[in-house]
Amino acid sequence: MTDWTRRQIGGLAGGALLAVAAPHIVRGRGRAKVVVIGGGIGGATVARYLGDMKSIDVTLLEPNSTHVTCFFSNLYLAGLRSLASLSFGLETLAEDHGITIIRDSAVAIDSGGKAVELRGGTKLPYDRLVVAPGIAFKFGEIEGYDEAAAKIMPHAWIAGPQSELLRRQLESMEDGGVFVIAAPPNPFRCPPAPYERASLVAYYFKQFKPKSKILIVDAKDQFSGQELFQDAWSRHYPGMIEWLPSHFTGAIKAVDVAARSVVTEGETFRAAVTNFIPAQKAGLIGEKAGLTDASGWCPVDPVTFESTLQPGIHVVGDSIIGGDMPKSAFSANSQAKACAFAIAASLTGSPQFPPHLFNSCYTFLAPDDAFTNALTFAPEGGRIKTVKMFISKVGESAEVRRRTAHHAMGWYSAFTADVFGGGS
Amino acid sequence: MKRQRAAPIVSRAKGLAAEIRWLLSISLSAILLFPESSAPADVSQGAQIAATCASCHDPTGGGQAIPPIASLDEQAIVKAMLAFRASESPSHVMHAVALSLSDDELAATARYLADRASAGRQP
Repeated sequence: MTDWTRRQIGGLAGGALLAVAAPHIVRGRGRAKVVVIGGGIGGATVARYLGDMKSIDVTLLEPNSTHVTCFFSNLYLAGLRSLASLSFGLETLAEDHGITIIRDSAVAIDSGGKAVELRGGTKLPYDRLVVAPGIAFKFGEIEGYDEAAAKIMPHAWIAGPQSELLRRQLESMEDGGVFVIAAPPNPFRCPPAPYERASLVAYYFKQFKPKSKILIVDAKDQFSGQELFQDAWSRHYPGMIEWLPSHFTGAIKAVDVAARSVVTEGETFRAAVTNFIPAQKAGLIGEKAGLTDASGWCPVDPVTFESTLQPGIHVVGDSIIGGDMPKSAFSANSQAKACAFAIAASLTGSPQFPPHLFNSCYTFLAPDDAFTNALTFAPEGGRIKTVKMFISKVGESAEVRRRTAHHAMGWYSAFTADVFGGGS
Repeated sequence: MKRQRAAPIVSRAKGLAAEIRWLLSISLSAILLFPESSAPADVSQGAQIAATCASCHDPTGGGQAIPPIASLDEQAIVKAMLAFRASESPSHVMHAVALSLSDDELAATARYLADRASAGRQP
C-alpha cells in the first residue's frame, strides 16, 4: 500500500477514473504527506481525521507534551476542576490514529519548496501543510504591558502556567481585594470567556472572600451573551461584579506593574490582582509564513480553509479571519474536519461536499447554571456567513440551566476524545 | 433494506437512489485504489457529516450527559432529527444541526451511523 507505483496503476483498468480519483497516487509519488503545525484543538483534529483515512502520511509538530484546554479553564480558576483534568497528551493520536508526532517547533516554511524547517534544523517535506498556531498577543499596544508584565499581571488566555499563576494570585488575595479583568477588543479567542471568568471567580469569592469586588474594564461597549451574564450577576453575585464599558472609561491606556494599577483615560484602578487580557493576532508562525493580512489574522477559503495568500497551506482555528465564526474550540474542530476532507479530496481524490460548519459553546454562570448557543455557518461570497443562531434565554428555569451545566460536562468529555483520540 | 425504509421518511427517494449510485461508484474507486488491508476510512457524505456528531456525542455510545447515538437504528435517527428540526425545544443545539441538513444529507448521515452501529465498527 505504501508504494503505489506507475506500474501497478497502469496495470489496472479504468485509468481515467483513477486519474480523477487519486491525482497524487497516479503521479507515482507514493503516499501523500501532510504536515500539521500545532497540536491544539484545530491541529489535533485535522491530524486525527486525516490519520483515520489511512491513505495519507500525517506528521504533527507540537513542542509541548501536553495540551491544556482553554475551555473549562475558568472552572479551574474557581477551584472547580484540576488543571490535570484539562490536560491531554498526543500519545493516543500516535498510537490509535497512525500520526507521527514530532516534539519540535516550525521556525520557517518554504512554501515554494514545500518543506517545513524545524528548530532542530530538520526539513520536513509536505504535499499539503496545515498551520494551526492559535493566537499570539499584541504586546506593546498598551504601555507597560509586555511578556515580563504578564508574569505579574497574567493574561491566562493560553491555559497552563499562566492559569496557575492567576489561580495562585486569587488564592492569596485578601478578602476585600479588587480583582480587575481587562477585557480585550474584538476579535479575540472565546468571546464570552472574560465574562464567564468574572462569573466563576465571583462564585469563588462568594464562598471564600465575600467582601471582594470584580471590575471588568472593557475595551468594548458590548459583549457576547451580555444580557445572560448581567442577569446572572444580579441573581448570583449582587454588587460583586461591575462592568465598565469602553465609552465609560475611555478604555485602558497603560498598566503600571509596580503599582499594580490599570490606567484608563479618565481613571486609575488599583487592583490586588489584575488579569490583563491583551489584544490578539494570529500565532507567530502565521505572520512569519506570510499567511496573515493587515488585520494580523489569516484569510482562508471558506470551503477548503486553504490560505488565500499561500497556496498549498491550510489554516484552521483561532488564527483565521474572514467570516462570522467565533474563535472557539468548537469552531476550530468544525473547520478542521472540513479542512481534512478537503485535503483528502485534493490528495487522494475522495469526494468533497459542501462543508457543514458549526459552533456551540457552553458557558458557566455558576457551577449549576450554564447557558449555551448553537450557530450554523455556510460559505458565501468567499466568506463564512452565519445561517442560524440560537442561544439560551434570560428567565429559563433553574432546572434547564442545571441540565445545560450537566450537558457541558458530557460535551467536554466527548469533544476532547474527538480531538485527541481515546474513547472512540 | 434500511435504505428502502428511510427513503419514504424523508420523501426524497429519487435523490437517495442517485446517491446510492454515486456511493457505489465511489466504493468501486475505493476497491480499485485500496485493494489491500489498510482500507481507508469511509469518506462518504454521511461519514463526513457524521464527523460533526462526534464533536458532542461519544461515538462509542458512552458519555453521561449527552444522549448516545451509537446504537440507534436509521429510522430512529431520522425520526429524532425531524423532531429536532421542527422545534427549538428541547435542544437548540440539535435544532440548529437538524435545520442545517437537507433531507438527503440527513438520510445519508442516518444510514452511515446505523450501518456503522450494526457493523459494530468504530469511526
